[in-house]
Order: sequence, then C-alpha cells, then structure tokens
Amino acid sequence: MSKIAEIMEEPVIASVSPAPEIGTVPKMLSGGQALMECLLAEGVDTIFGYPGGAIMPIYDALYDYTDRIRHVLVRHEQGASHAAEGYARSSGRVGVCMATSGPGATNLVTGIADAIIDCTPMVAITGQVASHLLGTDAFQETDVIGITTPICKWNYQIIDPDEIPEILAKAFFIAQAGKPGPVLIDITKDAQTKLMSKKFEYKKVEKLAGYHPRRVPKIEQVEKAAEMINNAKRPYILFGHGVLISEAVKEFQAFVEKTDIPCASTLLGLSGMPIDHPNYMGWLGMHGMYAPNVMTDECDVLIAIGMRFDDRVTGDAELFAKQARIIHIEIDPAEIEKIKKTEAPVVGDIKEVLNLLMPLVKKGDYTAWKNEFRKLEPEEKLKVTDRDLGGSDQIKMAEVVKMVSDKTKGEACVVVDVGQHQMVAARYYQFKKPHSYIASGGLGTMGFAIPAALGAKMGAPDRNVIAFIGDGCFQMTIQELGTIAQSGLAVKLIILNNNFLGMVRQWQQLFFDKRYSFVELQNPDFITIARGFGIDGHKCTERESLEESIDKMLNHQGSYLLEVVVEKEENVFPMVPAGRSVSEIRLE
Amino acid sequence: MSTYTICVFTENSIGLLNKITVIFTRRRINIDSLTVSETERKGISRFTIVIKHEKREEVEKLVRQTRKIVEVLAVFGYLNDDIVYNEIALFKIATPLGSKPLDVDTINRVYKAWVVYWGLDYVAIQKTGTEVEIFDFFKYLKPYGIIEFVRSGRVAVGKTPQGLVEYLPEDMEWEYYL
Ligand SMILES: Cc1ncc(C[n+]2csc(CCOP(=O)(O)OP(=O)(O)O)c2C)c(N)n1
Repeated sequence: MSKIAEIMEEPVIASVSPAPEIGTVPKMLSGGQALMECLLAEGVDTIFGYPGGAIMPIYDALYDYTDRIRHVLVRHEQGASHAAEGYARSSGRVGVCMATSGPGATNLVTGIADAIIDCTPMVAITGQVASHLLGTDAFQETDVIGITTPICKWNYQIIDPDEIPEILAKAFFIAQAGKPGPVLIDITKDAQTKLMSKKFEYKKVEKLAGYHPRRVPKIEQVEKAAEMINNAKRPYILFGHGVLISEAVKEFQAFVEKTDIPCASTLLGLSGMPIDHPNYMGWLGMHGMYAPNVMTDECDVLIAIGMRFDDRVTGDAELFAKQARIIHIEIDPAEIEKIKKTEAPVVGDIKEVLNLLMPLVKKGDYTAWKNEFRKLEPEEKLKVTDRDLGGSDQIKMAEVVKMVSDKTKGEACVVVDVGQHQMVAARYYQFKKPHSYIASGGLGTMGFAIPAALGAKMGAPDRNVIAFIGDGCFQMTIQELGTIAQSGLAVKLIILNNNFLGMVRQWQQLFFDKRYSFVELQNPDFITIARGFGIDGHKCTERESLEESIDKMLNHQGSYLLEVVVEKEENVFPMVPAGRSVSEIRLE
Repeated sequence: MSTYTICVFTENSIGLLNKITVIFTRRRINIDSLTVSETERKGISRFTIVIKHEKREEVEKLVRQTRKIVEVLAVFGYLNDDIVYNEIALFKIATPLGSKPLDVDTINRVYKAWVVYWGLDYVAIQKTGTEVEIFDFFKYLKPYGIIEFVRSGRVAVGKTPQGLVEYLPEDMEWEYYL
C-alpha cells in the first residue's frame, strides 16, 4: 500500500508528535524535529525552500518551529539555492535551502554549483525516498549524492535519525571552515519520520580528522613574504573575495595604508576597499579597468590576497605578471600554484596572516609607482568612461548605475545578474561599504539576481538592496517576484533593457563578424508582470525622466521594479579578449 | 610519461570512491589501476591509484585536490623508485589431452609463478610481480593458449622506514589491528 501513498505524494505516516515543551518530560524527537533543533543550535533563522513528497515530514516538523525559524517559500528550487547564496553573501552566515527529492533536488543544483565556485557557505537539505526504496527507481528518486559530489564541499545521505545531530554539526562546520562552500545533506523519508533512539544532543564541530584548515600561517612563510614586500620596488596587491569572506576588510586597509602599496581587486573583491581610497586603483579582469590590468605587466612583486588567478582575471595565465615574483596569501593549499608559480605562498586565514604580517612590513616610497597607475586613467576616461556616461540619444547602462550610485551615496548592497549590466554595475557603482557587490562570479549564472537580492535583503535587512538585471537574465528566475512580494520586504529591481542578450551579442559583434545568432529577445511587458505579482513598477524610456524614475524607485516603500530602456548595441570596454594577454586590452 | 602511484588514506565511508575518481575524471586523467583495502588501523582505508602523466606539477595539483576531500586524511604521490610495489595476476591455461605440456619447473624457477589450481583440461597459474614481470610471463605463456588473464591493481609501500599512517592527524584516537 505504501507505494500508492508515495505516488500520491502523501506521507505514509501522517504526522509526528509536536515539539517537546520546556518542563515536560522530553520525548524522543523524530528525525524532522531533530533537524529543526540542529538548525536552531546553529543559529539558523531563515530557510529558503520548497516542499514535496519526500520532505513532507520535515515540513511537518517545521510547522511547529515557525516562531523561531523563518521559512521562505520560493517559486522554484533554483531560487532557493540562489537566495541562500544572497543571504550568505550579505550576512557572512551559512545560507540554508531545502527541497524535496528528485526534481526538487536537481533544481537546487545550479545554485550549489554557483556556491562552490564562489566559496559561499551553504547547507542544502534534500528529502529522499524511504531507505528501503533506495536504488529501485522509486517515485522521485534521484541519486542526488552522485549528482552533487563534484559540486559540493561535502555531501552525505542520512538514513537513521540518530545520525542527524552529528551530521548536521559536521555540515555546518564544513560549510564555513577554511574556504567556505556548499554541503548537501540528503535525508530519507523514513529517517525524517522515525523517532531517535536516544536523547537529542547537539555538539558543534570545531575540527575533523581529515579537515582542519590552517588558519594561523606558518611564521616562516609570513617572514618570507614580508621580506619580499619590504624589498620590492614596484609592489602591487591584487585582492579577491577572500578578504571579504575572512571579514578582514579593516586589517586589509590597515595593511595597505601601512605599506602604501597600490592595490586592485578582482570582480568579487569589489567593495573590499572603498572606491575613493588613495591606494585603490580599481578592479581588473576581462572587463576590468585599464590601469589595474596593464600594470600587472609592470610590477616586480605581486601580492595576491584571497584570490585564485581565475582565467577571467589573468587572460593568458602564462603571460600574466610574467616578470613578477609572486606572493600568494590563501586559505586553501590546493590553490597554491594551481595557476601561477609562486615564490612565497602563505597558507592561512587572511585576517590571521595580515595580523602577523603587519608588524613585519615597512612603509615604502611608492609615490612615483602609484602615479604610473594614475597616469593611465585619463586615457580610459576619454575613451571609455566619457563615452559610457554621455552623449547619445538613448540612455546608457552606465548613466543609470552612476545615478543610482550617487543617489545612494555608494552605500547600497548591489546585487547583479550576468552580462553587460553586471560589468557596468561593477564599473560605475562607487562602493563605499564592504559586502556590497553580490554577483555570480565564477559560474556566471544568469537568473542569479532576483532570488539572490531577496536573500541579500534577508541577510542584511537594514541595507538598501538594489539589483541590476539584464532583460534576458530577468526572465530566467522571473517567478521569484512572487517570493519577493510574499516576503513583504523592500527589494529594488532595475532592468537594464537592451532587448538583447547583450554580452553574447557583443562577442558576436567583435569576434564572430557581427553574425547575431539568437540573441534578440521579444520581451514581455515587465511592468505588467511585476504588477501581476503584486510589485509596483514603471518603465523609463527617456533620459529626461531618468532621475525622477530613480527617485521614485528609491522612495517607494516596498519592493519596486524600474525598467530602463537602454541603448541596444552598446559594448562593454575595456576588454581583454578571452585567453589573451592583458597587454592586448582593448579600450574601444 | 612517468608512472605515479598515489596513496590515499581515508575514513571508511560510502561514496568515497566516487568522490576521489571525479577529481581524476574532471582532469581527464585515466586511472591505470586502483586498489582499496583497510589499513592496519580500523576504519582507515587505503586507496592505491596508479596513473601515467607527463607533468609532475599536474600530479601535484591532483594530489592537493584529492586532499581537499573531507574524508581524506592524507595523500602521497610517488614515482616508482620511491616505493616497493607489486601486482598479482591469474592465468587460465588450456591443457587438453595431447597439448604441449607445461614446463612447471621453468614457471616456478624462472618466473616465480605457481600453479594454484589443476582443472581437468586447464590450470590456473598465479604470478606476483611488477607490471613488467607479469607482462614477460604473459609472453612466455602465450603459445600455450591463454583462456583468461586477470591482473590486480598495484599495492605499494614507501621505501621510508616510517609507516605512512604516521602522517595521519595526530590527535585522533586510532584503534589498531594487532
Ligand atoms: C544560465 C546561463 N545561460 C547562458 C549564459 C551565457 N550568457 C552570458 S551573458 C548572457 C546574456 C545576458 O543577457 P541579458 O540578461 O540581457 O544581459 P546584458 O548582457 O544584455 O546586460 C548570456 C546568454 C549564462 N551566463 N548563464
């Protein structure tokens, strides 16, 4: 009979006992209840999820915990994993998402893959068919452990409720320790329903036999790095996401100020340094800024901090900073020399490394060296910035971003999707506060922004969360407008509508003889759609009404969608063609 | 191309083989042979993986990536000179009436192999040795007619006096099989 129940997606055992009340004799907890207790013990206050057959006992347990745990019902499980990422990125805490077996679990996959490559702490919980059905092609059975093994920091299948406290403690430890990442815990339906055989006890994990990342670096490594820094004539710091993940922004600034070395960030390092800091030269990479890119060819010592020499940063890795001696400060030993030969690796947590490095480094006289960066700026201003910010009949993406930046004093938490608008937002938003550029960097996942923006708002409720989204991306997770509306929170969404899959169109124009192959969109009426979901908005087509439009969006009480129709065939420059050396950077 | 032997010490948990092999497949590295067994310590398994590769640095990266797996306790990569290693092979040879008789003496003395089973019209011969030795023996037996041949993966120990388990995390309590 149980088969029929499964097919009807009804729980075989309808309901579990309610959570024990304080003062009563503690009952044994069901697996579902144990899971809730674990989440509470880890301080989880928000879960993004979607129910279904194989996770119903967990949802039933959750019913009694809604006063302590907020559950956000997304509209598609991909939204749950991206929202969890957004939450983690804005708050620095673990993002939690939850889905049923089979299609629910596979829908989470994109967000999990996104989280591993951008080092985002995440715990994903999936329901699974009952343990006696495993391997039988049961209804909604998918080998989610097999599917997610290559994209998880760790995964584990629980078939016995007694395992839940220990495994969840491990999961939260692994998700956060060292280089953070996603962990998936698959729980069979019977393990959710069954009562534990022993009293629930939760012990946080602080160390595992096989996994105890080095936080405090070896002092010899620090000394060697300090010696190289102190003897450098033209040192250059490239910093990445690691500085933000390690919450080392203050230490990093102090280090830069003490040594007076010029620095630049990767895309995900953005907002790790206020944009107007005298030592901050901008960001580098394929669409990064001119000076930060080309000066990698001029430095004698390159100090890489919390970055991994991604190919979108280096172009041709062989030629990248070829003349430089490299110091690599990084928590994950597998990153050392993965891409570049390194003379001085320092393995450890960035904050700890900087604390040890600080007393050993000296201030250098780098005025002339820093000026070499600044000298390149007028050319970029003339050829790129001035063009981007003005002139033509049509509004340009850059103008919109710049105006939003000015009006929010560079203090908003900016979430972006993937494409031209992502690069333009990185260029023209004047970041003043850390954790303010939330983007899918490593995976480049279109559809990231709408759910991630909601997650970011939940992770940082006091911040103004503003998302810049392309018209193509918007339609990949458009259904999450419903989640935003239901949350009642204020998330500001801006569509920069060029009616094209702009970034792909740009490549087709530049590298494929302008053969525009399937990049033009017939778009829906976005504002009507948003209104249908209960989110107000309006469309701006003229430059004259841009300022008023932005004001209206910013001053609106709740969530709001502003669609701005922008120049259709604009290109993003500078650009280092894929796989080429940074010296081949194009400004036009 | 050099042959590398990678020894991976792990906790004994389900799905680990998959976690390890995806690291090789992602980099399109073909595994020549693979052996898994429990070590002298309870709950600790040892994978011996043999690969061929042109670049030492790439193998080093592979080793570091493998070390990242949470259940992996230690990983060592070796060149052949650093280890004592062997494989085992079984040959099924037809011995029908009237066929050329096997020279058991040569098999034993020259090839250090043993007939481990006498069937009615076939024998099973066991040979332990390196890949090269086993292949030599294969060539020797070929004229007799090899019905079936199977070779195990490599097992190896390092030539250092210490046991590799000494490199496992210190502050753990291990139970020994002694
Ligand atoms: C899921 C996914 N599919 C395809 C791509 C390839 N891709 C990268 S950017 C882009 C175009 C994005 O278009 P749009 O959202 O309109 O933004 P624009 O570039 O015009 O600003 C595409 C298709 C991707 N990054 N992610």
